[in-house]
Amino acid sequence: MVKTATNIEEEIAAIFSGNTPWVTIVWDDPVNLMTYVTYVLMELFGFSREKAHELMMKVHTEGKAVVSTGTREEMEHDVAMLHEYGLWATLQRGDEGL
Amino acid sequence: MSAEKGFKRHGSHSYVAQFDESEREVLLNLIEQLIELLSERVDHGHEDPLAAMVGITSHDSLPEDEVLRRLLPNAYSDEVQSSEFRRYTESTLRGKKQAHAMSLRMHIKSSDDGIVDLDHENANAWLGALNDIRLALGVRLKVDQNSPEHLELLSPDDPMRGVYAVYRWLGWLQESLLDALMDE
Repeated sequence: MVKTATNIEEEIAAIFSGNTPWVTIVWDDPVNLMTYVTYVLMELFGFSREKAHELMMKVHTEGKAVVSTGTREEMEHDVAMLHEYGLWATLQRGDEGL
Repeated sequence: MSAEKGFKRHGSHSYVAQFDESEREVLLNLIEQLIELLSERVDHGHEDPLAAMVGITSHDSLPEDEVLRRLLPNAYSDEVQSSEFRRYTESTLRGKKQAHAMSLRMHIKSSDDGIVDLDHENANAWLGALNDIRLALGVRLKVDQNSPEHLELLSPDDPMRGVYAVYRWLGWLQESLLDALMDE
């Protein structure tokens, strides 16, 4: 997608308002074991087993789930950690539509 | 391959498994291939040495190899943003995945009687490495298109039948380590 003037204006507005959160999304993958996805979410984000299991089930049944929310830099960090452990993850602006 | 062993928890911080000779050979063979694959795009000839020192590479596009595309995926749905992110992070990600793989190789190579004894940190490295091998084999087996039923019924002379057997065994091994780690 090419950046348009409107996009840039929106981004500048977001920098100053600082309140448009970014999100990290984990996508369903046919290889990753369900137990593994649960374990990785517990290890990387400190979620309880129940919370991690719930998110894993959402990924499994709905195809994706938001696993964290924060600044763009924080979400880039989260995506890099998830990629290190082989989960399929992307980040985007929270208002880009999920 | 035997299926009765796998990882068991010993005490509170130790995860132990015993591998026979053929299992060690299979693991070493696969892990060597993974390490080699992950180092493919290192091309010092074309790098700016100063940029390379801080982990910035000239690689900003998705890898051409299908397996590498799964191991080093895009971080954004947007290509421009993905490329920018990749320039600054891909070499670090490769390095971390190689470190996981090297941990597995080191433990297998130095094992006494095939016994591997992992602490929590090493167990996580093993999980990452086993998962990367499964992701790689999964691409070759096209698990996104082929159902488990289809893969179970491959004919004995289909080379993918052996690959699928190894893929299943690695999944079982990974699951046994996860069970040991999550057993409280």
